[in-house]
Amino acid sequence: MIETLSRRVGLALGAEYVEIALMANAVTVAVRIGGRSKATVRRNEDRGINMGVVMEVQRLVLEAEAGRLNHIQYRDQLLALKPRHYPRWLVAIVVGFSCACFARLNHADWSACALVTIASAVAMIVRQRLAHLHFSPLIVFAATAFVATSVTAFGFIYELSATPKVAMAASVLLLVPGYPLINAVSDMVKGYINTGISRGAYALLLSGATCAGIVAAMSAWKVWGWLS
Amino acid sequence: MMLLELLQDMALAAVPAVGFGMLFNVPARVLGYCAVLGALGHGLRFLLLRAGVPIEVGTWIAATVISFIGVWQAQVLRAHPKVFTVAAVIPMIPGVALFTALITIQQLYVKGATQELLTQAIDSGLRAFFIVAALAVGLAMPGLMFYRRRPVV
Repeated sequence: MIETLSRRVGLALGAEYVEIALMANAVTVAVRIGGRSKATVRRNEDRGINMGVVMEVQRLVLEAEAGRLNHIQYRDQLLALKPRHYPRWLVAIVVGFSCACFARLNHADWSACALVTIASAVAMIVRQRLAHLHFSPLIVFAATAFVATSVTAFGFIYELSATPKVAMAASVLLLVPGYPLINAVSDMVKGYINTGISRGAYALLLSGATCAGIVAAMSAWKVWGWLS
Repeated sequence: MMLLELLQDMALAAVPAVGFGMLFNVPARVLGYCAVLGALGHGLRFLLLRAGVPIEVGTWIAATVISFIGVWQAQVLRAHPKVFTVAAVIPMIPGVALFTALITIQQLYVKGATQELLTQAIDSGLRAFFIVAALAVGLAMPGLMFYRRRPVV
């Protein structure tokens, strides 16, 4: 997607050719305009996924292809793009309800769902807070899993629900690295084996960190919800 | 009764699709697509599972359908289909199986290998792997079948 988009915008804005090489955490672009060529390497940092920006960039490329934007306008509009974020509390609440729905899909009772909502919302707030402080995602995931599992451990200790096991499992589902996992396989299907493997390995590493958090919480509270 | 269960299943799948869409900052006007596609996909898989289709095959069919609808809507919206199709398949991701596999592997190390733990680790690990693969291949189907040398939007 990055490759075709960059190539299309380059050709639309008057380049003779655009070649792109993708690596796991850098992009190399070579452009030839008017007999002179230039190659540049850019590092890409992990800043989270913002589909809104993806969409806006795509719109600009389509505009440029249709000939409605020249390269100066394109540049101005591209630089003017601002990533928009949803308010954090809203995301936390919605994620809480999402995990409760997962629990319900796995036949949890209503009190378990309520517990999951609280656990996941609190965990999401912790995750946002830690990510904001620029901790490594691995630490963020482990700490978040610890918090979520600790909250649901109360369901076992005080026997709040008939299905505490489902609650414990569902409360950490906000940490499943879904996008990286799917992108890993779809990259490889499309022939980008390198990026696919690195994304897949990172997704597995994040899941491993999450499991470390879960296991730590389970042994801290002596509640072995995942194994019973 | 069946219809009621189906509707409940679809409604329960729509919420996580929107939730994870927001997590990835999908713009508000596209969130509706996430919800509808998520509900459709999960509902379709529910029906297929009831009809006795294996879960990987059901997942693959559901993801393929989501992806084709996504491609069609992407041309209307002028946005890449991945903006909303990936959020729509999130409810089908086997998160519990993935974590169960990893936790069991940790337990294999702590408690030593037993038949039960080994079976559980391999079962849930393979299940997670095949379902994720089915999702990704399903999402890639339009590109593999029809949009071979041309971009979707």
